[in-house]
Amino acid sequence: MTLTREELGRYSRHLSLSEFGIIGQEKLKAAKVVVIGAGGLGSPALLYLAAAGVGTLGIVDFDKVDISNLQRQVLFTNEDIGQSKAAVATQRLAALNPQITIQSHDVEINASNVMDILSSYDIVIDGCDRFVTRYLVNDACVLLHKPLVSAAIHRFEGQALTYVPDQGPCYRCLFPEPPAGDLVPNCATAGVLGVLPGVMGTIQATEAIKLITGIGEVLNGRLLTYDALEMRFATFEFKRRSDCAVCGDSPTITVPAEQLVACATPDDDTSISIAELQALLTQASTRKLQLIDVRDPHEYTLGHLPSAINIPLALLDTQWNSLDRNKLTIFICRSGMRSQQACQLAVQHGLTSAVNVSGGLQQWNDTVDVSRRCII
Amino acid sequence: MKTNICTVHVASPLRSYTKGATKVIAKGASLQEVLADLDQQFPGMRFRMIDEQNHIREHIRLSINTQMTNDLMHPLKSGDVLHLICALSGG
Repeated sequence: MTLTREELGRYSRHLSLSEFGIIGQEKLKAAKVVVIGAGGLGSPALLYLAAAGVGTLGIVDFDKVDISNLQRQVLFTNEDIGQSKAAVATQRLAALNPQITIQSHDVEINASNVMDILSSYDIVIDGCDRFVTRYLVNDACVLLHKPLVSAAIHRFEGQALTYVPDQGPCYRCLFPEPPAGDLVPNCATAGVLGVLPGVMGTIQATEAIKLITGIGEVLNGRLLTYDALEMRFATFEFKRRSDCAVCGDSPTITVPAEQLVACATPDDDTSISIAELQALLTQASTRKLQLIDVRDPHEYTLGHLPSAINIPLALLDTQWNSLDRNKLTIFICRSGMRSQQACQLAVQHGLTSAVNVSGGLQQWNDTVDVSRRCII
Repeated sequence: MKTNICTVHVASPLRSYTKGATKVIAKGASLQEVLADLDQQFPGMRFRMIDEQNHIREHIRLSINTQMTNDLMHPLKSGDVLHLICALSGG
């Protein structure tokens, strides 16, 4: 795939690299890369791959731009709030480099479409924010023999690795199973340093460019970790597992499936639905119940339910004596994750009448307060 | 008897146990002993990594210096660095 005169100018700094040259740039032009998630990781990865001249870029994201994304998702601006991420990203990348083709997939990737979407690309970059998707994409890449550049972030820490088919271990060889649902919170719950995905997404783009051009060494069989607080990078070698469920000698996963991430206490008798909460708030006197919002103070200040008292999860251990044990204690948070932990702690501390609101304020906003007065 | 002291780098999701500390000091002549010492200092931390059958959980990897291991009896010597690695999901 030869370069046009304009492309020779655009990519002149690449062409000056002896390891790269015209052949390397032509390989980039011929390459098709898909990025799962146009979020914190996907934003820098897409921007750099578009700028570098990857000929076809796929964007998979079904989400809309939220104001809380703008602290790290550098593809988007204030004007994009409420717009489709895939659509905005397509426009932004086309403006950056009109000489590449961008394919937008404004869908939620799942077991029924993952093979179709990934099969038309050469390389997959995973920037998703859920374990279910992370394992699904890994399994599909192994089954399709597609290289995968995977990365993940949490607060101040990032990880990256590259799967090269038939040449090294996959993500499942490193971490065979996801953790229980409440053990590793996502960015929304745990927070994340805005620049962290910038570093990790850029590493993903670098890995993809090396895979395409065949230069350097990729993170095949190596986990790279980055600790922004310590400013420390480290790599750890790991091997293919012969008993890996997807790439092992006798695989049990032969078609992609969405693996359920087990929760320590799934919907059980300590969880109530939004409808049940609404009924309780309408019918029961506050003399009979206490609603505890366990989000952090800055989240509570942005908006909360009228009768909710703010006790952040981290401070609960110092506040048990302030809770009335004769009342029904209802814990609520953003998504239901922190409130579930609070509920477990409450039971351990002898509050036998404690429940958490499944789905949290996110679901309250989606089903009850659609005008979203309670900002989350 | 000589006490082996090693540095432990703590994975981000486990730092709630160490009050945010990114690295801590622990004592022990084997991985098992170091994990026991960590649990003594930070109650509940071991269970986040090791299940009821005394196996390393599937989303956790332990690395002594740069070598990952599944062997809880793996010996440690003073100056070794133990890395607690945890699968992350954020993007």
